[in-house]
Amino acid sequence: MSHAVQFDLSEDQSAILGGLEQLIGTLNIEAPKDPVVSAYSQPLDDELTTGGFFEITQSEGFGLLDGALIVEALAKLPVSVEAAASILIAPSFLEDAGRRPVALVSGSAAAPARFLPMAKTLLVDKGDDVLRIDIPEGAVEDVETLFAYPYGRLKNPGALPAVSLGAGRVAELRRRWRMAIAVEAAGLMQSALDTVLEHVKTRQQFGRPIGSFQAVQHRLVMAAEQGQATRWLALRAAWSDSEADAAIAATYAQDATPKFCNDLHQFCGAMGLTLEFPLHHWTYRLRALLGEMGGSSGSALAAADAVWAGKVP
Amino acid sequence: MEFGWTPEQEEHRARVKTLLAKELPENWDEIAVHGPGSDAQTAFSKIFCKRLADEGLLISHWPKEYGGNDMSVWDQFIMGEELWAAGEPRGPQYMNVNWIGPVLMRYANEAQKAKYFPQIAEGSVIWCQGFSEPSAGSDLASLRTKAEKVEGGYVVNGAKVWTSYAGLATHCFLLARTSSAGKGAIVILLLDMSSPGVQVKQIPALIGEGDIHEVFFTDVFVPAENLLGEEGQAWEIITFALQNERIGIPRYAFSRRILDRAAAKLQADGRFNDPIIRDRAGRALAMCEAARLMVYRVVHQRATQAPQDAYGNLARWAIVQADHAVNDFMTEFMPEGLLGDDQMQIAHHQRAIAAGIASGAAEIQLNLAARRYLDLPGEPRRAV
Repeated sequence: MSHAVQFDLSEDQSAILGGLEQLIGTLNIEAPKDPVVSAYSQPLDDELTTGGFFEITQSEGFGLLDGALIVEALAKLPVSVEAAASILIAPSFLEDAGRRPVALVSGSAAAPARFLPMAKTLLVDKGDDVLRIDIPEGAVEDVETLFAYPYGRLKNPGALPAVSLGAGRVAELRRRWRMAIAVEAAGLMQSALDTVLEHVKTRQQFGRPIGSFQAVQHRLVMAAEQGQATRWLALRAAWSDSEADAAIAATYAQDATPKFCNDLHQFCGAMGLTLEFPLHHWTYRLRALLGEMGGSSGSALAAADAVWAGKVP
Repeated sequence: MEFGWTPEQEEHRARVKTLLAKELPENWDEIAVHGPGSDAQTAFSKIFCKRLADEGLLISHWPKEYGGNDMSVWDQFIMGEELWAAGEPRGPQYMNVNWIGPVLMRYANEAQKAKYFPQIAEGSVIWCQGFSEPSAGSDLASLRTKAEKVEGGYVVNGAKVWTSYAGLATHCFLLARTSSAGKGAIVILLLDMSSPGVQVKQIPALIGEGDIHEVFFTDVFVPAENLLGEEGQAWEIITFALQNERIGIPRYAFSRRILDRAAAKLQADGRFNDPIIRDRAGRALAMCEAARLMVYRVVHQRATQAPQDAYGNLARWAIVQADHAVNDFMTEFMPEGLLGDDQMQIAHHQRAIAAGIASGAAEIQLNLAARRYLDLPGEPRRAV
């Protein structure tokens, strides 16, 4: 894996993202004004399936980094679609990668999980094992939440057969899950920031745009720096597929999330608290990601263990 | 998009590491503790830079016509990472090769190039940067040091402050003004620090011996041949110089090295099993790696000769966060290091507390990024 550091997209990557942009453009996606709980775009899911985007990592000449770029681009939309687990995790955990969407949960199969209402597969990180559960129709009840993903929980988890994938798969699942968190966070941060930038450039107070106040500007630059750093760390993690890089990327993203979200909402005032204003579509997905894989502390411990445990630098 | 190194780049990094292992003396930690401007580190820099020059590495990134070897931007940066991680054995001379030299290449006349390049190339001179003044810090354009035009040159009167390395400097990249007429009246003079009328006074500080000074100029004559560029061109030159200076130092590399040392020490002491310590160490690690990639993005921009944008301003903020995160972690969990137990930790602490101040206040970077990167409207000027 020895190549020169190169931050520009390759021709293939540009072509894929161009195709994705074109596909998204045909759907006329707008931020839903309804409550956040049901902002899942099945039409987008269908188009992505038809276009083969979920199979990118299994295509000749493409890999996790290319998949990560797609996940990041999709996270920028004001609707959600299950892509991160399908692209970055499913190919090595599902016998039939088409049994998606894929939901992920830590600890108990009974816990609420993102995308479970439409999921066909649930992967459970049991700590000492990874369980794969096929989800039949009608097995899931919706969970109401502010998090801007569809959440659900199994009505009767004990009744569903679970396939044990073994303790040896836990590290791989956690690595890819942390990678997925960071990649998705990068896209979410970018759109959240873009939304707030537009607001502060147009919203006038004291006879001038609120974005002209230094107190606002500095914190927005800090948010921009967090978004960019998250992006490069996440994409490096996808490039290397290493334990350390994935944990470092997730640590950074989850550590940054509280201040990032609080500041961005702050600059939109009461407007940012309304469902009419689209900011929550990104910030509440970020907040959902903050609570996964043990949160920022869980990721920081994983980073420390991956980099230093058992070795003296 | 790639995040790795070529075999040639890995070989280059290994060569620099091998050279450091061979050339740094056993008491290097003690030499390095007072920072690049200390007597001990400056004296060592003259030996070390000559060795680098012998190896063809001191100015290897310079063009061949100036004695360099056209080393790639990335190879130059890899070397900078390794040297800074080791505590910067080039001492203050990192400034010579990183930005004084490139500025002279672009703006100096042939006589100036012939005079200064051989000195820098052999590693025998120390430059200081005569920018900040008592009333002109972040607002550099408000500087007051006067350069009165006289026959054959300029007579300089005024004072500079916070000037790094001035105590041992042989030359000063001096900003002064010929009149009160704004940025256009600023001139850049390449001053011989042994000129009559130059007085240097060290300022005792938290950040190490010999790092900051006051410099007083009393009727100092500077020959006209020492004017850099044309009158009226100074602000363009300064802007170019600062672009090279601000992320020229890969500070995160030293922070990462210190954090690695801390983890090793905590493991040896049996304290690394504490999840609170590992949690905090992991967060500091993430900050270092974030700064690394933000800076790499800027280096990539240079390497591909893409137009400069405000990414360097963002990267500078990331660097400050990384330095602070590592320093804060160590101060909280390894305070014994600051009680005389660990010379390198003390050296890192002294650099970290200045991270957001040295090379220009970080708030200025935030201002610049707000305008140039986020395209936010400027603050209206107050009516006077």
